[in-house]
Amino acid sequence: MLFNSFDFGLFLITIYLIYWALGNKNRVYQNALLLAGSYFFYGIWDWRFLGLLLASSLIDYGAALQIKSTSSKIKKKTFLWLSITWNLGVLFVFKYYGFFVDNFTSLFYDDINSNQYIFWNVIIPVGLSFYTFQTMSYTIDVYRERIKPTKNLLEFLCFVSFFPQLVAGPIERARSLLPQFKKDRVFDLEQSKDGLRQILWGLFKKMVVADNVAIAVNAIYASPDDFGSLSLLYASTLFFFQIYCDFSGYSDVAIGTAKLFGFKLSKNFDVPYLAKTVADYWQRWHITLTKWFTDYVYGPIVKSTSRSYAMKSVALFITMMLIGLWHGANWTFVMFGFIQAVFIALERIRVPIGKRSYSLAIGLNNAPFLVNFIYTSFIIIFSGIFFRAADIQSGFHIIERIWSFIPSDNFSLIIGAKVLVIPILMIAEIMTRLKPFPLIKLQQHLNKPVRWVIYYALIFLIIQYAGPKEQFIYFQF
Amino acid sequence: MPDPKSNLSIFNFKENQLRFLLRAGLFFLPVVLLFIIIELLVLNIPASYINRSAYFEAEKESIEIAVFGSSQVDTGLNPVYFDQTSISFASKSQHHDLDNAVFTQTLHKMPKLKTVVFELSYAHLEIPHNGADFWKNNVYLKYFEVNAFNRATYFKDKLIYISSPRLFSKQLTDYYIKKKDFSGFNKYGYDSLNYGVIFKNLNYNQDAIDQLPIELSGMENLRVFDYNVPYFISMIENVLNENLQVVICTMPLEKNYLKTRDPSVLKRRDSILDLIGKRYAGVKIFRKEEDTLNYNPTDFRNHNHLNPQGAEKFTKELNEFLKASF
Repeated sequence: MLFNSFDFGLFLITIYLIYWALGNKNRVYQNALLLAGSYFFYGIWDWRFLGLLLASSLIDYGAALQIKSTSSKIKKKTFLWLSITWNLGVLFVFKYYGFFVDNFTSLFYDDINSNQYIFWNVIIPVGLSFYTFQTMSYTIDVYRERIKPTKNLLEFLCFVSFFPQLVAGPIERARSLLPQFKKDRVFDLEQSKDGLRQILWGLFKKMVVADNVAIAVNAIYASPDDFGSLSLLYASTLFFFQIYCDFSGYSDVAIGTAKLFGFKLSKNFDVPYLAKTVADYWQRWHITLTKWFTDYVYGPIVKSTSRSYAMKSVALFITMMLIGLWHGANWTFVMFGFIQAVFIALERIRVPIGKRSYSLAIGLNNAPFLVNFIYTSFIIIFSGIFFRAADIQSGFHIIERIWSFIPSDNFSLIIGAKVLVIPILMIAEIMTRLKPFPLIKLQQHLNKPVRWVIYYALIFLIIQYAGPKEQFIYFQF
Repeated sequence: MPDPKSNLSIFNFKENQLRFLLRAGLFFLPVVLLFIIIELLVLNIPASYINRSAYFEAEKESIEIAVFGSSQVDTGLNPVYFDQTSISFASKSQHHDLDNAVFTQTLHKMPKLKTVVFELSYAHLEIPHNGADFWKNNVYLKYFEVNAFNRATYFKDKLIYISSPRLFSKQLTDYYIKKKDFSGFNKYGYDSLNYGVIFKNLNYNQDAIDQLPIELSGMENLRVFDYNVPYFISMIENVLNENLQVVICTMPLEKNYLKTRDPSVLKRRDSILDLIGKRYAGVKIFRKEEDTLNYNPTDFRNHNHLNPQGAEKFTKELNEFLKASF
């Protein structure tokens, strides 16, 4: 059930009406409804994977309670590793097994077909990487004594499967989301209105910007050899906006939907094209994933080492390549992460000049907007080529074609004037950069008729100019 | 004294919740009303599928030939020139998966059906299928009770405007504002009036036609080919299992289009045609793609679509072919 579908609209209205009809005093029933709704929402994709979702939830629920209840450090560690092994094991089996078999056999055997070692050919369960990371962080936080485990199974199941963020995040932490299932939800009129506005804005980004831009990107990337340098650069630039509007649009709908039910989800994007450096970019792009890897991978590695530049760089490369690999079982994603790591490491190099030391990051932080924009865009767009390409060779091939300055005799915008929606979006977001999304608290600035005209205009644009319905890109991760 | 009935209500909304619901309802009411009006207006626009559906309802028990295909067949075949009662289910962008759904779900309504005609165009095997989200699925569900969604359907799946707002908005503008004439559909749904006039605008001048850019449909795609070929073959086998005759046709193309075809794509398509022709005795191949002797520019609306004159020629030829073959 896609957020940008009629089916989801009907589902949302039904759950919403029943949820609030149950009333604030019936929190348990509200939670039970959310759980049933979330499992229905997930089961629509493939009901067989509901068992996996439930198993992950139960194992982490049980492991966390055991960690808390025992005083033995060995037992605590055992249950922690049980949880981690299960979660990473599920990820490995469903997402990475084929990738590892392929690479292992091609590395060591020339004459063996890797297919003989692939015992099953399963599809990747939707949102697997999101909910396993969410539930795994819960057990780790309990082990680190940052949070107390919940004894309430219903609330924990709701925390793992909350439908607005189940399939593509934001990846929530237990300390932020779990308590919200424990307290009575108070209906807030303004929050509900903002929820609807955020859903509208998210749908606009997804359906009008991302899905239309996808037409041009798909056409050019389908046969890069038929296009010259300018066309390939154009498609690669559009891909950045496609993936940004696709994923941040999804996040906006998720956060807006949660608001309708009285929940607050974490911010996942913060106008990434305003990033001054690549490191800053990762503080603005998929924020909850960056924080997850910082807390559970980068931080622990750095803490356990000498904290020198070299060790921090090693930790950085490991983290960024794992972030890449998190996106999918393909070397293209690893390469994507590797390129980001190279530039972040370069930005961090400190050069002593006189009594002070300087770095690229310091220079860029003091540089004009245009310099920052060109620098970060260049790196993100070029590394994004690997993100979009089918394989590493294709990625290099596209970059080679771009740098060869092959004439683009057949250059065409493909989507015509619709490409103008990108600068319009950028202006709207830059002008409201301090807000979570441009339409928030619009009533403070505009009177009702003007606001309604804006809302109707956005609805009209979504209906009239929506591109071909594309699955959210991040669902596959 | 409190109202004793108030506790019996299954609803437990607070005043501000009701206010929000009311406001949200008021906000969305014009949108819903507009949708209803637009839907009614769309249903009122003459369309091929409306005539085709009416014809199908009236004649289904006597139909002997059913034709399936894409826009090339839709524009290039006019059932009026068949000797036997026939129907064309061809339509723009329609692929084999939709052909198959329409065939399997209408077959039981056509007891006299003898012959099924499928199209295998140059690019057919390397273009992805329509899939469960194709907008024409709504049209087929509403007008022919064909479910191509691969799932249980509900009321929304029969709404026409919402299936492709962009396309139907254009139709609404053309019909109600620009007052374009939509009366060219005959009872078979063939449109002899509103067809692209690219070649006609050039007075069918060969030199001018030679200068026109060619929009080649489809690019080489082996992954799709690997999927489409067995699908198409199983489709044919299903028809043969129903003791029906099968004709696979290729539609005439203008000579400039013929030259720009990708040799690899063409070779693969032709090899499949040859294979089917040899393997299945009940299948006849009607190759017209490279017939540049019988078809000249005046028979085309553009490089790869016949006009009504070309359609008359093609349908009559196919009619003779059917009589001679079966």
